[in-house]
Amino acid sequence: MARTIVDPLTRIEGHMRVEVEVEDGIVSDAWVSGTLYRGMESVLKDRRPQDAFYVSQRICGVCPISHGHASTMAAEAAMGVQIPEGARLVRNIIEAAQFLHSHILWFYTLGALDYVDPVKALSANIADTYALAEAAGTRVADFGAVAKRLTAFVESGNLSIFTNGWFGHPEYAQDMPAELHLIAVAHYLEALEVQGDAAAIIGIMGGKFPHFMTSVNGGTTFVPTEQKLDDVLYRFTKVVDFVNTALIPDTLAIAPYYLPALGFGGGTGKFLSWGVFDKPSFKADERYLPNGVITSGLAVDNASTDNVVEWVDHSWYEDDNGGLNPAEGRTKALWTDYSTDDKYSWGKSVRYQTTAGSGTGEATEVGPLARMVVAYVKGVEPVVDLIDSTLAALGAPGQPEVLVSLLGRVAARNLEAAYIGGLSIDWLVELIGYIKGGDVEYFKAHDVVDGKGVGAWEAPRGSVAHFMDIQGGRIAGYQVVAPTTWDIAPRDADGVRGPMEEALIGTPVMDAEKPLNVVRVARSFDP
Amino acid sequence: MAYEENGALQSLLAARGVTRRDFLKWCGSTAALLGMAESFAPQIAAAVEGAVLQPQAPALWINGGACTGCTESMAQVDTPDVATIVLDLLSVNYFETIMMAQGEDAEAAKADLVAKGGYVCIYEGTVMTGFEGNALRVAGKPQVEELPEVFENAAAIVAVGSCAVDGGWVAANPNPAGGIGVLEFCKEHNIETPVVNLPTCPVNPEWVVAMVIDVLYLGALEDLSVLDLDEFNRPKGIFGQTIHDNCSRRGHFENGEFVTEFGSVEEAKGYCLYAVGCKGPQTFTNCPIVRWNGRASWCVESGAPCIGCGSANPLEAGGNWVDVNAPFLNRHRDIHVGDWVTQPTVVGAAVGAAAVAALAVHGVGMKAAGRMDGGAPYEEMKERDAKKGGGK
Repeated sequence: MARTIVDPLTRIEGHMRVEVEVEDGIVSDAWVSGTLYRGMESVLKDRRPQDAFYVSQRICGVCPISHGHASTMAAEAAMGVQIPEGARLVRNIIEAAQFLHSHILWFYTLGALDYVDPVKALSANIADTYALAEAAGTRVADFGAVAKRLTAFVESGNLSIFTNGWFGHPEYAQDMPAELHLIAVAHYLEALEVQGDAAAIIGIMGGKFPHFMTSVNGGTTFVPTEQKLDDVLYRFTKVVDFVNTALIPDTLAIAPYYLPALGFGGGTGKFLSWGVFDKPSFKADERYLPNGVITSGLAVDNASTDNVVEWVDHSWYEDDNGGLNPAEGRTKALWTDYSTDDKYSWGKSVRYQTTAGSGTGEATEVGPLARMVVAYVKGVEPVVDLIDSTLAALGAPGQPEVLVSLLGRVAARNLEAAYIGGLSIDWLVELIGYIKGGDVEYFKAHDVVDGKGVGAWEAPRGSVAHFMDIQGGRIAGYQVVAPTTWDIAPRDADGVRGPMEEALIGTPVMDAEKPLNVVRVARSFDP
Repeated sequence: MAYEENGALQSLLAARGVTRRDFLKWCGSTAALLGMAESFAPQIAAAVEGAVLQPQAPALWINGGACTGCTESMAQVDTPDVATIVLDLLSVNYFETIMMAQGEDAEAAKADLVAKGGYVCIYEGTVMTGFEGNALRVAGKPQVEELPEVFENAAAIVAVGSCAVDGGWVAANPNPAGGIGVLEFCKEHNIETPVVNLPTCPVNPEWVVAMVIDVLYLGALEDLSVLDLDEFNRPKGIFGQTIHDNCSRRGHFENGEFVTEFGSVEEAKGYCLYAVGCKGPQTFTNCPIVRWNGRASWCVESGAPCIGCGSANPLEAGGNWVDVNAPFLNRHRDIHVGDWVTQPTVVGAAVGAAAVAALAVHGVGMKAAGRMDGGAPYEEMKERDAKKGGGK
């Protein structure tokens, strides 16, 4: 059987390889490999619980806020510390800024080039582009200037980051008008500026981004002032405006040309979310995007980290590292060789057991699609409204099951951005109200005490959990189950594929040398 | 892009809404970054304008054992319009995180340029030597197998972020994946390509822009002394002073006004963070001046003590910022200034007089502060420092 390999898969965070078997133009089998091992868990061992927040967030330069929060929550859980209300809002706002930053960056900077061909934009008629933007309800830019810049760029023959791109690939929607390609290119450029505003919010409230400084164990070091929050509000308003006037209408304008993508790329149809954005109750199942797991049909249960198990049968770790809950987890690397029949990834195969401690577990997808499906099934009203109206716009009213697809995964991310955008402004207004009232607490002083704790939270790309064991005031054990670990998991102990591997099955491949749909499906997870 | 007529830069600037005045202002701050007087601004402007008329300079951006944070950071550069112009002057033919191509086509773009040579190689992340280099595999083989040729054929290497400088957190004890910095890798392989080190985690994007200008347009390739690097291959203009030297909270230090608990009234007033473990006095970067995220803020301004992510020692294993500065929120009795370690013998409730004196001797320029009650605990001599003979 012919194998097609994409290595490196670019336009992602980190290093990844995709290998697929193609039969009669359809992917019949797939192997996904995480190709980097750094050893965070070993580095954190024997250090102080308060240091983990700073170091562990460096796992991911695109989602450090979520890792930092999961780490500090793990320490707080281990030590029995409850953060004050002011810190809850500050953390929610910083987290929201990162989600908006990440989702905008994914759609325009990382994902768009799989659907938008910059060369096609060259033949756009400028007047028609303005007319189309108006008809689609999307943001107007100086389309003439963008076209001129693009033309000069292409004519230079020096394509820089566009070198060797798959221009003119037959799997770009052939009927998508040049004018729509040009609109997307204009917004690709504008998105670079807007993501900077989202990141600057974290800069103000977190010290810098990526890698932030303020969400220390016990709360936050950031004590807001009205002046700083005014600056933050101004930037949020710009970012949220871009989400509503570009990201959402662009999604709805481009999607109709890619409706076949509702028919593949779905995967296991099993979903997990630890939940993110706390309410005053700090209960995971009451979060704005709630905790929940779906392993069959559309029945949602509360998800517990006790039910997580990791397998290493196909991962480069010692065999006795397998079959363990991360709270007992071990990370002892063992390089053998790359073999899809044996071990082929630095990622462990993480699974969700419907009964803790029993069975191999389910290959659950994590990420925006999982969170939005869980919230939809749980009846979170704004999410239900967003999804129902989008389904109607895509010609599939009342059929939420079509979301379990490539196009559904892309759309869910952007709808989530719209939901979070609205929430972020609410939280900010709430926080401004608080500081006007005075007497808000941001930090809970505490002693370092021994114990075990888990911080289970969500990053833009999916569920993140940090497991910390404190003994004698030092970290005796630390394990991280990162979002991408779930989605790019290799086969488990039973040889069952991971979520991305499963999603690749059935993907149409027109050109085995240039498997555009394969990279679309892989990137749709924002790995 | 091909710019053939005079005034090409002006029309580029105009197309992006940048005035000539903004541009010159930016050139002035770039001059300051490079450690030059602002009066050098016209020379920088001339260099950039001249470069617009040249073909784009070729570059590769290589991700090693990276979190992609330095790439992320590059997206947060100040005055993006002007900086983008500068970066547009580069043709970055390989850049995994944002390039359009993938797989073999991406690798081909890299191979073409490596064969031609003469490019600037920007390296992000740790060089992964563990498991015979299999700790990082790219295109089906260990990345370290291709690095000697990639580095050898480069005109210059810019190591961005602490990981690229000395392995960063990846190289922290016990360094299970065999992480090292670019300079060490080059030395091991007798590669003499000049390496410019830009530590901090992630790299501050303004420094990268400044270095690109320096390397490409101000003649550094012809005469390396233009770069004015210190013994760690860091540009002195950026890494010559401590954070403490330029800190906006320095006045509070002088007045003996300290934060002893996060979220406190003192924190709201913006008092000095030294008592909660700030590593500003021993960390050599110009963060307080350049700031972060389009100059929106920086760590200390958000109430967080510096953790010294810019500490890096490419000449000695174990000099990474995590091993040197953790535990981050404790005050250290053993104080690092470069590779020099001391442990003052007299430490009380006040800032240890011996520490202050020692810091002053080594040019950190700290003055005796008033009494400090409360604050973070002092850290006893750390094991690794004791082994290295600290405290003498």
